[in-house]
Amino acid sequence: MAAITLRGCGVVAGVVEGEALVCPTSIQGWGGIDPATGVIKEHGHVNRGVSIKGRILVLPGSRGSNGWSCYFGAANVAGAGPLGMVVTRIDSSVGVAAAVMQVATVVDFASNQDPCRLIATGDRVRVDGGSGVVEIVKVAATPGTDARGQEAAEKRSLGPQNALGGAIRRPRSRT
Amino acid sequence: MLRLTEYEEGVLAGKEGRLKQVSLQNIVRYAKILGAAELCEVTKATVFCGAHNYLDVCRSEDIDEVFSRMNLAVEESIPFDRTYGNSYIQSCVSPCDQDEHEPFGQSPEFFAKNALYLEQARKAGVIIIGSCAPYLTGWLPVRGEHFVTTESSVTLMGNSLWGAMGNSDGIEAAFWSAICGRTPKWGNHVEENRAGTHLVEVQAEIDGILEFDLLGRAIGMRLPSGAVPVISGRFGSVTFQKLRQLFTSLAVSSNCEMSHVVGHTPEARTVEDAFRGREPAGTLMIDERAMVESYQAACDPGAGEIDLVSLGCPHYDIDQIKRVAVYLEGRRVHPGVHFMVWTAYPIKAMADLNGYTRIIEEAGGHIYTGSCPCTIGPTFLDKYSGCVFDSVKQAVAVKSETARAVYLGDLQRCIDAAVAGRWEEEHRWPRSR
Repeated sequence: MAAITLRGCGVVAGVVEGEALVCPTSIQGWGGIDPATGVIKEHGHVNRGVSIKGRILVLPGSRGSNGWSCYFGAANVAGAGPLGMVVTRIDSSVGVAAAVMQVATVVDFASNQDPCRLIATGDRVRVDGGSGVVEIVKVAATPGTDARGQEAAEKRSLGPQNALGGAIRRPRSRT
Repeated sequence: MLRLTEYEEGVLAGKEGRLKQVSLQNIVRYAKILGAAELCEVTKATVFCGAHNYLDVCRSEDIDEVFSRMNLAVEESIPFDRTYGNSYIQSCVSPCDQDEHEPFGQSPEFFAKNALYLEQARKAGVIIIGSCAPYLTGWLPVRGEHFVTTESSVTLMGNSLWGAMGNSDGIEAAFWSAICGRTPKWGNHVEENRAGTHLVEVQAEIDGILEFDLLGRAIGMRLPSGAVPVISGRFGSVTFQKLRQLFTSLAVSSNCEMSHVVGHTPEARTVEDAFRGREPAGTLMIDERAMVESYQAACDPGAGEIDLVSLGCPHYDIDQIKRVAVYLEGRRVHPGVHFMVWTAYPIKAMADLNGYTRIIEEAGGHIYTGSCPCTIGPTFLDKYSGCVFDSVKQAVAVKSETARAVYLGDLQRCIDAAVAGRWEEEHRWPRSR
């Protein structure tokens, strides 16, 4: 199958390739992860017990406490940080986390290219934080079906839009 | 392209020392990531001082090394010895009460280490308050004033209620801004970004403080990333205590930094006013069912023995402490329950003066200052088998730290549980109305 390509805005340069960890409701700030291991601790989280360590973290944005970036920064210091970040819409907390961790980061995707919808946990993803190109180089199997690869990706790309119109784009003045 | 002033160029060139230089370098990097065109001067800041648990990953006892790696994101050791002279800077919560460590199972050594961190910050120019409610001690940014804060509810209150301008940023960036006096002029620091984006029609009956708290979570869990909700409903009486509880739970359940409450926040005299002539990008309905779901997600089912009851998230004001004293007077907290009320240090002094502290202590309770259970963390929480809180924020945060039962109720039901030593079905909302 051909790689699926998404285009956002590269905000921290670097090219990384790794396994995606998609958190469609983000991760709670202050205590959402154990910074020593990167393991998600948040009660009720879809990925509770999974570590962000060495993964391409795919998020809609931040969530919760202003103590959000510091947990990702601390995980980074502990060697348990993500390999890269792909974020639907940047917000201030994500901006600080990116500035502190300095891992390849791409943000701000068009509404029909929402990475939280088009990338699935387990996909192999290449992130170019300079050009803003995010490629799904190998699609993970869709649980419960025989569909793999292209079929799984097409299924995702036809998924419903957020009923509330998706994330809000902030005006950007990037040149 | 980021434009810098002559002052900022000078700081970047090292004219004002390495600490300020590195702080502004970080702010510039942050601004470029956001796509900001310029920086703005920060005249109010709260910063997160103390020997916080997450700093342990640094595995160093060198306070300068810890500060530099964790807050400045550099490998060199730079002493934190100054702050921006034109900012009103005070400290947020630390992992210790300001006077005691034994009630929390903390060692004297850890207490002394925390005190060392606070003393370093004080010498650098931070006023040590130790509160998530900085407004209780006069930290009140006015309309148009640029602020940074480490407390998410204060971001929402500053923008929504006071018309000031601030983003959530983060703990590191709050230090950078408090040191160099600058933050990216982006997001809520830009006037046109303050218009509402989504209409929230509240059909549920909302009156008590707990209901405003549950409403904040109900909205936050449904809100798209980056939205500015315009909340409209027929509320009972609306007070500062209620709005701050709404903003607190809204902040921790979303990335919302600004919210209008029609008829009650100054930029939302009407729905149209809040949207500034723009069309809503979407509409949310909050009905009774959404409120019940919000409660059920924050309060464990059933009844059970409890041994920790904590009130004051955000830190209580003096009126709330008075209400605790009045409701508790003449009663006794169950001997197996650690009953605590959290506030800011000067408010505790006022509680002493008014006799509220004596009443609460005679009943077997305590007033603590400078921290809260989820900031102290698992070493403290693990000692308890059943916890009761009066705040969605505290209940949800503690639930991620412990497998123990966590219950949520209003002030009166929390005190009833503390006296009984049990959480009962009858304490549950909405029966507590």
